[in-house]
Amino acid sequence: MQLSSLLLAGQGKSLTSLFSLLYLILFLPACIIGYTVIPKNWKKYFLLLASYGFFWLISGELLIYLILTTFSVHYFGIWLDRINGQMKEALAALPKEERKGAKAGFVKKQRLVVALAVVLHIGLLLVLKYSPFFTTNVNLLLNKMGLSINIEIPKYLMPIGISFFTLQAVSYIVDVYRGVTKADDNLFRLALFMSFFPQIIEGPICRYNQTAEQLWNVKPIEYKNLTFGIQRILYGMLKKIVIADRLNLFVSNIFDKNVDYEGGIIAIGAICYTVQLYMDFSGSMDAVVGTAEIFGVVMPENFQRPFFSKTISEFWKRWHITLGAWFKDYIFYPVTSAKKMKKLTSGARKKLGNHYGPLIAGSIALFCVWFCNGLWHGSAWSFIFFGMYHFVLILIGNMLEPPVQTMNKKLHINPKWFVYRLLQILRTCVLVVIGELFFRARGLKAGMNLFTKMVSDFSFTTLNDDLLKTLSADKYDFIIVGVTLLIILTVSILNEKGICIRGSLAKRNIVLRWCLLYALLLYIIIFGAYGLGYKPVDPMYAQF
Amino acid sequence: MERLIEILEDIQPDVDYANCTDLIDGHYLSSLAIISLIAELEEEYDITIPAVEIVPDNFNSAERIMKMIERLQEEY
Repeated sequence: MQLSSLLLAGQGKSLTSLFSLLYLILFLPACIIGYTVIPKNWKKYFLLLASYGFFWLISGELLIYLILTTFSVHYFGIWLDRINGQMKEALAALPKEERKGAKAGFVKKQRLVVALAVVLHIGLLLVLKYSPFFTTNVNLLLNKMGLSINIEIPKYLMPIGISFFTLQAVSYIVDVYRGVTKADDNLFRLALFMSFFPQIIEGPICRYNQTAEQLWNVKPIEYKNLTFGIQRILYGMLKKIVIADRLNLFVSNIFDKNVDYEGGIIAIGAICYTVQLYMDFSGSMDAVVGTAEIFGVVMPENFQRPFFSKTISEFWKRWHITLGAWFKDYIFYPVTSAKKMKKLTSGARKKLGNHYGPLIAGSIALFCVWFCNGLWHGSAWSFIFFGMYHFVLILIGNMLEPPVQTMNKKLHINPKWFVYRLLQILRTCVLVVIGELFFRARGLKAGMNLFTKMVSDFSFTTLNDDLLKTLSADKYDFIIVGVTLLIILTVSILNEKGICIRGSLAKRNIVLRWCLLYALLLYIIIFGAYGLGYKPVDPMYAQF
Repeated sequence: MERLIEILEDIQPDVDYANCTDLIDGHYLSSLAIISLIAELEEEYDITIPAVEIVPDNFNSAERIMKMIERLQEEY
């Protein structure tokens, strides 16, 4: 393929991933070289230009959405700041006893501005992402009611990453309103925060206070940052190219073909999809964090070894951490902090005690979080079900906590015992895999069918080489995936114990370090799933 | 401070509130306990604790909680 055709705006199909050849051998090295040779004062503008260039290459004219969002949040931020300035001036001129009332008027004004901004940005996301789903369901309802009205299903082109940068935009506005951050009067700084190229496809969802200043106060590229960044990118490639992409065809064949597989095969498919999703998303995050590290920027981590979690609640504190934190800060606590909720908590605690009392308000907030979480992932009933599934699991976990503690005490079970913790981890993994089965299935009905088949016909009688062949896999695929997973498991166990492998390696002999780096690269080149027989797989979370 | 420790002990007993400095980071106070605590503090001290104040730094020790209460009482 001609390079020129690869670089056509919005047609750069080879540039939809941080692991694409075009990105790794051309775009990223060009950015690093350009960034290094450009004078210090211009580096930040270079990063901004590179970020907009990257977005244009993957989304073409849809870049306009990002530009308009940036202009909009910039304006809303300044508007809120102005009201804040007026409030301070007015209150300073008033006696203390009159201030409370006067402040309420200004706060009301600010709330209206925030509401307008949120409606505008979330509204745009809702229209682009959910109107086909909404229209389809309205049509179904009308048909069921016997009305022969058929509303045309709208189709919109959605820019990549809109679900991520919209949440970043909303968090900036709310943080300015809350006084967590000052409104940025520098449009370019805000634009760089909104568009930094490694994170634009799949996040992490950053807060203004976390990355804006770091990106603006750029540093020259240092040897340590460069090597650490490259190591992290390679580790991400190991997860994405060797494991996730290798499992792709196998998983697609199980979930996308209308073949009646036996339960055991469906269970293997669900486990493989869970592994694929984790390796794809966390591998991409390694590439994002590693790329940012090269430029001296510390990104928030999005994963913390989620499959070591003992409960579903803990799992979601370790998986897609920045999304969970966003929901906690902008939905969970605002809902539980509402006046009526506080009243409910106070009253219920007196009647139901310390655990079940606050659980009512907490569960209402949790419902809102998981409904939004499900919807955020996609506009289909299966995603809403996915959200509700986790809501119910967490709710059951919360409700059973006191009786389980009592039972453990009575039976003299120490929850810190290794076997007990291992069983808890296994239980969490099983529940996660079931959730992912519904998440991956082509619709809620298909998910139900697969789940029913999985539990009612759990056997492996048809599992043989011929079946694997029809599923575009062989035993060598599973050996490669298994060995690579063992490597990642070892690294994860060491990390879980607080051992920083990169830090320890950095103290070793330079020859050993480079040998290991080349060995990792060679391993990816030899065992990676690319080229003939493989289809390049777009980042899985980019579609959300 | 004594009243605050009483409230804390009522919500989550068996914690050394006078000396503990990692109530949140050390998982002594769960999110449910925080929901209760906020409701109780608002009632007791006639303050409003907005969502933005619900960060570990403000709840990691009785002293930090007291400081937050005093700051919110001072705010006009």
